[in-house]
Amino acid sequence: MKQENAIEVRDITKKFKVFYDKGSELKERLLFRNRNRYENRWVLNGISFDVKKGEAVGLVGHNGCGKSTTLKLLTKIIYPDEGTIEMRGRVSSLIELGAGFHPDMSGKENIYTNASIFGLTRREIEERLDDIIAFSELEDFIDNPVRTYSSGMYMRLAFSVAINVDADILLIDEILAVGDANFQAKCFNKLREIKANGTTIVIVSHSLGQIEQICERSLWIHDGIVQADGAPRDVHPRYLNYMGEKRQEIAEKERERQAVKSQQESEEHAGEKAEGEANEDKTKGPKESKRWGNGSARIKRVDLWNQKGEVQNVFATGEEMTIVIDYQLKKKVEDAVLGIALFRSDGIHCYGTNTRIDQIPEFSLTKSGRIKVKLEHLNLLPGEYLIDIAIESDIGVPVDYYKEAAKIEVYSMLQDVGIVRIEHSWEID
Amino acid sequence: MKTLKELYAYRQMIISLVRKELRGRYKGSVLGFMWTFINPLLQLLVYSVVFSMILGSQIDKFYLFLFVALVPWLFFSASLTGGSSSIIASKDMVKKIYFPREIMPISYVTSAFVNMLLCFLVIFAVMILFGIETGKVFHFEALLYLPVVMLIQYVLALGGALLTSGLTVYFRDLEHILGIVTMAWMYLTPIVYSEEMVMNKMGEWAYLYYLNPMTPITIAYRKILYSGEVPDMSTLVNAAVLGVGFLVIGYVVFRKLQKGFAEEL
Repeated sequence: MKQENAIEVRDITKKFKVFYDKGSELKERLLFRNRNRYENRWVLNGISFDVKKGEAVGLVGHNGCGKSTTLKLLTKIIYPDEGTIEMRGRVSSLIELGAGFHPDMSGKENIYTNASIFGLTRREIEERLDDIIAFSELEDFIDNPVRTYSSGMYMRLAFSVAINVDADILLIDEILAVGDANFQAKCFNKLREIKANGTTIVIVSHSLGQIEQICERSLWIHDGIVQADGAPRDVHPRYLNYMGEKRQEIAEKERERQAVKSQQESEEHAGEKAEGEANEDKTKGPKESKRWGNGSARIKRVDLWNQKGEVQNVFATGEEMTIVIDYQLKKKVEDAVLGIALFRSDGIHCYGTNTRIDQIPEFSLTKSGRIKVKLEHLNLLPGEYLIDIAIESDIGVPVDYYKEAAKIEVYSMLQDVGIVRIEHSWEID
Repeated sequence: MKTLKELYAYRQMIISLVRKELRGRYKGSVLGFMWTFINPLLQLLVYSVVFSMILGSQIDKFYLFLFVALVPWLFFSASLTGGSSSIIASKDMVKKIYFPREIMPISYVTSAFVNMLLCFLVIFAVMILFGIETGKVFHFEALLYLPVVMLIQYVLALGGALLTSGLTVYFRDLEHILGIVTMAWMYLTPIVYSEEMVMNKMGEWAYLYYLNPMTPITIAYRKILYSGEVPDMSTLVNAAVLGVGFLVIGYVVFRKLQKGFAEEL
């Protein structure tokens, strides 16, 4: 093991046996041998990395990519099938908070029990007791049984114990969602302080923002191997782009499925329904409520291009984005109006405009074609956004209103807050 | 060696688990901690009635003869049966957090050991009462050997608990099988009878009887507390060798099995 390293992971592989129908009783094991059939699922396929002393590293990856398994291997809860893991120093994990808490015992007694599980001696616990209680902000309740605590108080106490262990290596799994905003901010500050004191930190999180705030290095784990390793600002865009592509695939499939379904339905209803009938009834189920119009023209495909004209679903704040709309015409649309609207995933209407608002001269759609809308600076702040596209004819008749036609994710290297970035400059004397 | 160092670092966890176990066991029951004493006393009563009154055992002061062997036996059988479920009982912790897994059987055996020590207070009380009457039994030099015998038994019980706790994770039936095994084991150990009764009948196979690690331990306890004599060195060596052997086997098996605990539970 190299002197400057705190963690060395070498070619670890891990498989889990997935039993189809498992019996753990002796009788079941002997009598129903064929019930013990299982398949091996390889979660890690040879991961290697080093973590230097005092370094903070974030593990990112999609669900099931093996990042939590890696962390569990580091804590020695489970063991690798092949490969070695070497660690130097006391390890503390913020993986499962409040292990061994007893509901009938007081907060203080539970501090002793819980801290002892991290391998602290009585004297060490007594030294830290005041810090732990102060950090948890539970001074008034510390002698009450833990069962009387609210879940937030419970987690605060558990977090306070775990973070005051003074470990050399701290492993964290997706738990920075403890307590209210104030307490979270406090946890973050504490983590920074711990890091400044030279503790090595490994974090697993889906919140890239959290990782960017604490870590100087990010590992993207994909299909059980390290896909990318480097500074968060280099690794995260690659990861987000991949995720965007994947989401695009899923969206594509879903669209195909819907298309097949609507075709089947329209075949069933052929005859019954006169073509061109506007269907604005939003209560008719998800399909109808997502798309309505008289059908004279239909949006076939919506793509999002970056500056270079490549299809992309993940954009950085301020990047150029072009919405490319392919439509198919069945009947001529007179005095057409095209509109777009951007919604944040929580439903906030961020922006909307159309050709009439922008005073584009009136035009008619006479054949199938393509329309592009260029947004020179996509100034939305990080988050998920949905884009609605609409074609109307000037009298206000919806031709094709396509709700949630596209989905984008926006990321940013800056930590400004709100909905949009308003361009600004400071002047300080 | 590394394990020992780690266990030492985690000593506070062992202490608090033992305390929790001792305090929690009789929580909610009316007599509470008194059960620690009442339980063995009632068992003593049953065995005494059956063996000395109904079966008419010829042994002098049968209740004391039985009691000094029964209390250590209860400790040993509790270690095997209770220890076997110690890992499963703390499933949530084992699956989620790291600590040396040996801690669970160790703290269970230790709490059972403390229980036994408390029961010895009752034995001593009986012996004092009895000693006043006859002027015999209390033999100071012999009592010096008592901690040695206890230590050997602790080592043996720990080996047994490590073995059963590890295996039970993979074969849950073991928990139930152990009930019968310990019952049979009790009758294979000179607890309700004296070892001479068996020796006479076994003849040249007698040495087999001494492969039961509880045999020399029971004999030693009885020598010290019932006969008031210093136990034979050969008995102590016999017990120590078997005890350490058990611990080594238990430890090696446990080490091997513990890697899969989190996945198996």
